[in-house]
Amino acid sequence: MTATTTGALPVAAARPAPAAVPLAVLGWGVVSSSGIGADAFAEAIVAGRSGLADVGDMFPEPLPDERACAMPGFNVKDHLKGKGTRHLDRATKLALVGTDLALADARPAIEDDPGMVGIVLGTTAGSVKTTSDYSRDTFVQDKPYLVDPIMFPSATINGSAGRCAIWHKLGGVNATIAGGQLSGLQVLRYGRMVLGRGHADALLAGAVEEFSPQMAWAARHLYGDGPERVPVGEAAVVFAVRDARRTREAGIRPDAEVLGMAFGTYAPPGEAPDPGLGLAECIGRALRQAEVEPGELWAVSTGERGVARLDQVERRGVQTALGGRAVRSLRVKSLVGECHSASGGLQLAALLAHHRHDPALDGRASLVTSVSADGAVGAAVVRGWSRPHSPQNGAEA
Amino acid sequence: MSQTMTDRMGELREIVADVLEVEPEEITDDGLFTEDHDADSLQAIDVLARIEKTYKVDIPQSELPNMNTLQDVYKVVASYAGWRD
Amino acid sequence: MTRASTRRVVVTGLGPVSSIGIGIADFAAGIRAGRSGISPISGFDSTGFPHFMAGEVQGFEPKRILRRLTVDDWGPAGVLAACAARLAVQDAGIAPEVLEAAPAGSAMGTTGGESKVTELLTEEAITTGWGGITPDTVGHIPASRLAYAVNRELGLTGEALTFSTACSASNYAIGYAYDLIQSGEQEYMIAGGADTIARWSHAGFFRLGAIAAERCAPFDRDRGGIITGEGGAALFLESLDSARARGARIYGEVLGYGLNCDANHMVAPHPPGIAECMRRAHRNAGISPADVDYICAHGTGTPANDVAEWQAVTEVFGDRTPPISSVKSMLGHTMGAASGFGAMAALVGMTEGFLPPTVNHANPDPLLEGLDPVPNRARPAEPRIVQNNGFAFGGNNAITIFGRLT
Repeated sequence: MTATTTGALPVAAARPAPAAVPLAVLGWGVVSSSGIGADAFAEAIVAGRSGLADVGDMFPEPLPDERACAMPGFNVKDHLKGKGTRHLDRATKLALVGTDLALADARPAIEDDPGMVGIVLGTTAGSVKTTSDYSRDTFVQDKPYLVDPIMFPSATINGSAGRCAIWHKLGGVNATIAGGQLSGLQVLRYGRMVLGRGHADALLAGAVEEFSPQMAWAARHLYGDGPERVPVGEAAVVFAVRDARRTREAGIRPDAEVLGMAFGTYAPPGEAPDPGLGLAECIGRALRQAEVEPGELWAVSTGERGVARLDQVERRGVQTALGGRAVRSLRVKSLVGECHSASGGLQLAALLAHHRHDPALDGRASLVTSVSADGAVGAAVVRGWSRPHSPQNGAEA
Repeated sequence: MSQTMTDRMGELREIVADVLEVEPEEITDDGLFTEDHDADSLQAIDVLARIEKTYKVDIPQSELPNMNTLQDVYKVVASYAGWRD
Repeated sequence: MTRASTRRVVVTGLGPVSSIGIGIADFAAGIRAGRSGISPISGFDSTGFPHFMAGEVQGFEPKRILRRLTVDDWGPAGVLAACAARLAVQDAGIAPEVLEAAPAGSAMGTTGGESKVTELLTEEAITTGWGGITPDTVGHIPASRLAYAVNRELGLTGEALTFSTACSASNYAIGYAYDLIQSGEQEYMIAGGADTIARWSHAGFFRLGAIAAERCAPFDRDRGGIITGEGGAALFLESLDSARARGARIYGEVLGYGLNCDANHMVAPHPPGIAECMRRAHRNAGISPADVDYICAHGTGTPANDVAEWQAVTEVFGDRTPPISSVKSMLGHTMGAASGFGAMAALVGMTEGFLPPTVNHANPDPLLEGLDPVPNRARPAEPRIVQNNGFAFGGNNAITIFGRLT
C-alpha cells in the first residue's frame, strides 16, 4: 500500500514523460453566458464581464438559485439554419453551435478531408436532464415504455458528438470522454494521441455542459449554498486542432500550441495520496514536456470555484510546482460560472481571449490546471498568439 | 368528411409536422413522408409513439410500412382506436 | 513506422464480470459451452414491460473481489469496472506492488455510465423534488468515476480515462491503452468497460422496437432484436518485453485498431461507414482482410444491425469471409462492456483453440447468404488473427484486431 500510506508520491510519478506531439489550435468557438463566438467571448473576458442571468423562468421545476451563468434566451435556430435541431437536448444544441463556430474560426480551415476530421467531446454524464426525464417517464407514464423515441439518442451520453458529426458530415474519430471537471484537458490529451498516431488529420476537441434543474441541484447538494461558491453555468467550448508539427512545417501561426499535458488520479482532498502534491507533480511533468520554465509563465488559468477544499488543493499544487513564484491567476469561473466538463476548455479559452488581440503576449507560455472532487488532476502548458487579421486589430475584417 | 374526422386529421397533421420539423400546411393528405420530407425510421417510430400517447391506443410497429402518408396514418389509427367517421 | 521498431503490446490478464460467469475460468467455460446468461429482470421492477428478459450478473459479491474500494462509495457501474479490473490483474499474476509503482492507468468505456444512480434519484425526486432528494449518491453521477474506480481499487496514480462512446466504448478504451503502451507512455494499462441495466435504456430500446421477447438470436432469419445486459469487462495490457520478462501467460497481441464515424444517422447502422472502419483497423494493424480468421461480431440481433454488418463484411472481405459469431447471443447486449467481452471471448478462443458460437441459431437468413455464424456450438479452430467489431449509436464505430503471438 505504498501509494496510499504516506504523503510522498509514488515512484511512478517521477518517471520523465516521453516526448509528446504538440497540438496546434487553429481556431475556437465558445457558447457561453459571457458571449457566443470567440470574439464576443474574448471581449467579455478581457473586460471582466460576468454572464450571470436570471434563470427563474427557464424550467417548470424550482431551481436552487434564481440566477446562474446560463443562457435563458439561447435559441439554436438563431445560429443554425435548416431542419434537424428541433428534437434535441440542450447540450447537443450548444455543441452543434460550438462546433460550428470553431470550424468557422479555424485559420486555415480544417475540413479539407472530412473523412479524417474527428470530434472529441467532453462531458460529465451527457444530458443528465434528458436521461433523467427518460427515467421519469418510465415511472409516471401509463406504461413504463412510453418514452419519447426521438429523444433516445440524446439520452445516451455520446449523443452530442454523434449529432455534431452528422451535422458537419465529419467521418473521423468520434469520441465522447466523460471526464467531468477534467474533460477540457482530457479531450486535448486524447486528441494528441489520435492525431499523433495517425487516426485523424484534424479534430474538433471540446466539451459541453448544459444548465438544468438536475445539474443545478446536484451542485447545491454537493457544494452547499455558500456565497463564495461561483454560480452554476453552462457552455460549449470547442477547439479546432491539428498536429503542430504539420502547422509548423507549413509556416502557419496558430492561435495556440498545447505543448505539454499531464494527468494523475489521487484521492479526494484530505485523503492520501494527496491530490495537491499530485497536481504539483503533473504541472512539473507538463512543463518539462513543454520545455518551459516556471518563470516563463505569464498566467495560470485555474478551475477555482469558491469551494475551499478543492480550491486549496489547486492553489497548493500550483504554488508547490512553481516554487512559490507569483504568477497572474485567471479565475474564469468567476465570470462564466461552474460549467463542470466545459471548465477546462473555458480556462484555455480565457487564456486565448487575452492573446487574441494582444500582440504583446505573442509566444508567451501559460498554464491550465484542473482538479476534480474525486481527486483526479490535470495540467496543460500552452503558448498563445494574437490574431493578426482580426477586426479589433484594425487589419482587414 | 365529418367534423370529427377533420379535427382528427388536423391533430395528426400537427403531430407529423412537429416530428418532421415542417409547417402543418406542408403535410398534405397524400404526400409521402419519406420521399417528400426525408422522414427516417426513427421519426416514423416517434410519430407512432406520439399517436399512442395522444389517443391511448396500442399500435404495433408492424403497421409502420402502412403509414406512409397522413391519410394512411388516419386509416391505421382509426382501425386500432375504433374510430367511425 | 514498422512493427519491429516499436513496442509490441500483449494481453496478459482478463477480468470478466458477466451473466455467464465471473472470472476468466467461468467465463471461458461459458463461452465454450454456449451458456446463456439470460433471465427475467431482477435489477428493476419490470412490471408493465412486455419484454422483460436481460443478461444480469448473478451471484455477484463485489466485497469478495474488491480489496480497496468500499462498495457504498461508488455507483454500480464503477463497482463492476473495479471488480473486473481486480480480476484482470489477478489473472495477469502481476504483483500489486510492482503495478502500483509503475506508470499505469486505466481506460474504461460505457454507454450509460452511472445512469442507474441518476435513475434512482429521479424516482425519489418524483415525490420529493430535486431539492429534497437524499444527497449521498449525487457525487456518484459523473461517468468519469468508472475509470477512477479502477485506478483507486488498484492503487494506480496514472491517468484514468472514461470513454462514453456507447456500445463500442470498450474498443475505444483498448485502442487508447494500446497506443499508450506502444508509444512508451505507460507500462501497464487496464482497458475495458462496464454498464448496468436500467429502466430508461430498456424502455428506450423497447420503444425503438429493438428488444427481443425471450432470446437474442443474431443472424437468425427470425431474430427479434437485442436482450439488454450488464457487466464489467477488463483486459490487462503490457508490452511484450514486460510480459516475457516476468514469464506471464500471453493471451494474444493487440495488433491495432480503427475508429471512424458514420456521420449519417444516430441509430441506423451505415454499411459504408462500418466497412471504412474495418479498412482503417486492418491498415493500422498492418494486415489484409485475408489474414483475418475470425470476426467477433457486433451482432446485436436486430434485423438492421446484422444486415448492415454483413454488408460491410462482404464489401471488405469479398467472397472470402471468415466465420463471424456473436457472443451477445449468450450475454445479451452489455452496451459499453460489449466489445470488451467480445475481445475476451476472441482471445480465450485463440488461446484455447476454438471459435465462440452464436447460440439460439435455428434458421439461416436468406439476406445473410454465405454467413457462417458458428451456429450453436463452439468450433475447434486455431485462429491466428481475429477482428472484434464494435458499433454504436451516433455512428461510433470501433474495431480492434488481435493476433496469436508468433
